[in-house]
Amino acid sequence: MKRTIHIAVLVFALLLAMVGTASANGGPHGGYTATTDSCAGCHRAHTATGPNLLMHDSSYALCMTCHGSTGTGANTNVDDGYYLSTRDDAAGDGDHGAANTPDNASLLGGGFVNYGGVPVTSIHMPDGTEDQAWGNGVARGVTSALTEGGLSCASCHDPHGSPNYRIINETVNGVAVAVAQVDEGAKDYDTEHWGSGTSSLCAACHGAYHVTRPGSGSDNQDDGSDDYGGDHSTFAHRVDMPYSYGANANPETVGFDGYFLPLAEIDTVVCMTCHLPHGTSAQMTGITNAGGLPGETSADDSALLRLDNRGVCEVCHQK
Amino acid sequence: MPGDDADNSQEMIDPAEKAAAYQADGQTRAGEAGPAEAAMGKGPIGDSIQGSDLPADNAPHVVDSQEGGDSAATPAKGPVEGAAAAVVPPETVGDAPSPAGRVPELIDIGTPMTTLRAMTQRDWWTRPRLAGLLAVLLVSLTCTTTLFVRYLLRPAPLPDLLPLAVDLDYPPHYLFSVHGLDQPVGVAYSPQQERFYVAEAGGQRLIKAFDLEGNLLAAFAPPRTQASQRAPVYLATDDHGRIFVTDRLQGAIFVYDADGAYLDTILSPDLTLSKYIAELTEGVMAGRTFAFNRFEPEVHYYEASSVEHTLPAPGPAAWSPLGLRIDAQGRGLLTDVASSRHCVREIPADVIQSPSWYYFDPAYRVYGETGQEAGQLLFPNSAVADSQGRIHVVDGNNSRISVWDEGGEFLFFYGQGAAEGTLNLPRGAAIDEHDRLHIVDAVGQCVRVYDVSGAEPQFLFDFGAWGLDDGEFNYPNDIALDESGRLYIADREGNRIQVWSY
Repeated sequence: MKRTIHIAVLVFALLLAMVGTASANGGPHGGYTATTDSCAGCHRAHTATGPNLLMHDSSYALCMTCHGSTGTGANTNVDDGYYLSTRDDAAGDGDHGAANTPDNASLLGGGFVNYGGVPVTSIHMPDGTEDQAWGNGVARGVTSALTEGGLSCASCHDPHGSPNYRIINETVNGVAVAVAQVDEGAKDYDTEHWGSGTSSLCAACHGAYHVTRPGSGSDNQDDGSDDYGGDHSTFAHRVDMPYSYGANANPETVGFDGYFLPLAEIDTVVCMTCHLPHGTSAQMTGITNAGGLPGETSADDSALLRLDNRGVCEVCHQK
Repeated sequence: MPGDDADNSQEMIDPAEKAAAYQADGQTRAGEAGPAEAAMGKGPIGDSIQGSDLPADNAPHVVDSQEGGDSAATPAKGPVEGAAAAVVPPETVGDAPSPAGRVPELIDIGTPMTTLRAMTQRDWWTRPRLAGLLAVLLVSLTCTTTLFVRYLLRPAPLPDLLPLAVDLDYPPHYLFSVHGLDQPVGVAYSPQQERFYVAEAGGQRLIKAFDLEGNLLAAFAPPRTQASQRAPVYLATDDHGRIFVTDRLQGAIFVYDADGAYLDTILSPDLTLSKYIAELTEGVMAGRTFAFNRFEPEVHYYEASSVEHTLPAPGPAAWSPLGLRIDAQGRGLLTDVASSRHCVREIPADVIQSPSWYYFDPAYRVYGETGQEAGQLLFPNSAVADSQGRIHVVDGNNSRISVWDEGGEFLFFYGQGAAEGTLNLPRGAAIDEHDRLHIVDAVGQCVRVYDVSGAEPQFLFDFGAWGLDDGEFNYPNDIALDESGRLYIADREGNRIQVWSY
């Protein structure tokens, strides 16, 4: 009996002793075994200081430990929106792939501090202070609160790994999200290789803008075919449509005046064709520097648009 | 019953008379009951006489606890349990010996063990005791004099003078913080200048120089760069007081003098900016200055006459310098995180210490490669050398320290796992003169100290915890040590350098 108690105490002590480390096997974002010790790198069961039992008060600070400007733990510098080194030879055959990411290539998602070597003019604030989203509900042009509180890196990305492209969460703002993966060997960080479902990520918070009905730019009636049939007071630019719908030039291959916009799988226009998810340094001047009303940009709020002023319109519509 | 004299049936002897007799010869008759004993009808040996048993009068009585309990440590070493000290009036202790001519009575002292008790009180209370005290004094005086002489001959810390093993391994304590920084990630100390330098990752991303009180002396950055175009990370200082700063966005190492004046840029493993310009122009020219910014298509150089010239910028380099340390021999230990190969590049001391680098082409010793197996590295953040010549590489994303020998052969790694002292996300590291490796654990929010003087590294202790108060860390990233036992720790999200001390 005594022996049993001793063994039990030892086992308990051993379990207690197993907090305090994190191993980066397979990178820290997935591939955990049943006996992983990685949890303790970010979580504390009983003495956490942040939400989700994080031992730190901000997932942004934690993520930037590797993904910040110094690149001390990763090449994806999301503060400056650069990929810091040439892409690794994943297959080990000396071939880095045709879509090799050049040194210091601009990341497709933008940057939180700078982008393209210029300070940003609007970002998705990732430090937990922003908890409202435009069109997070029925109507466009109004904001409402997010389900899970303040926006942070972990709102969109799953630090534990995910079957989605770019380890996007499978549930965002309470909504199921599925973004198809592309071929891992062909993937790089400066050329778009989104699979289908990209817009479902944005729609999880900005659902009122996820209007996919043909003719939505000319007809605001709800005929039941909308993905989201709430707002009938405004007209909306359709998304998840082929770029050729409006007889436009291919913004990805043809572009306009040297500017290009990315398309998703099967040449589809998605939210990210015009907007950057992390942050943009697009400059708003003249009429676009108005501000004050929903849908209006300003020098301090470029609405995450990829290009200066309304370049995102002109690259496709070329008026 | 104790204290109840009324139970005594014997006649009371006048204690005063008896006391007088004893005072006259100053001796105790061990075999004879003292006055109090006689008064209580108790024998001289074998009975314990409690203080409370004694008559409450002025007669001399057994003082059990007098002289520090010597009554229990009588020279009668035999099992004389509870025997009172030889009865002696207190005022007789230390009295003069018997007056001449007086012959002490012979006393039946009983068993041989009481022979010692027959010695005078003074003998074994005084002379051996004095002798002992003198001996102790003499020994301590000798020791002190020896130490003094040894110190005069060779001033050294006490643990080095004494042949005793002194425990050095206690954690340091917090001293103060230096504020006014924006996400400091790198720190280095310059013994020549008695300054420490800090690299910022936030705000204007400057290199800042401070004196030892924490006063800002200078702030500088690579010339012709914007804040959005630079990302200084780690720093190192050399014997000339120069500062080397790795830059992750520029992909180069910038070199400044002690006051922050820009000197040169190491662009690639075998090219510096001065060398590049010298090769493309008429050669080395005195008084020429230059500037490089990876985001500009041209490099600029200026003659002494301030005329500006440009040249096409060199192509991208096949490296990505991250952590740089210059060891006691002046050798540079650089970690390189180029995707093609994460490794350590050892730069010979004569190359690093050269006053200029027009002919920069070091013969590197390179070891390590990308991966998670033994002998492989994943984002090594720094590399330091111990006194045995082994290179300890902080293998950041593998949560361990990997060790190579002086010949470039991989030896072993340590610090992984779930035991006490294992590493979460080790970043900067520094080693002191006692071969204690200090490793900053960015996600562990502490500094872990290992003793690497032996064949196998031993975890000693860690200090610090997550928090915003003094002495608490919020994603620390780097550490530097000075020769006086002070530690400088870059507290990134705390926006400060914390100064600790042993």
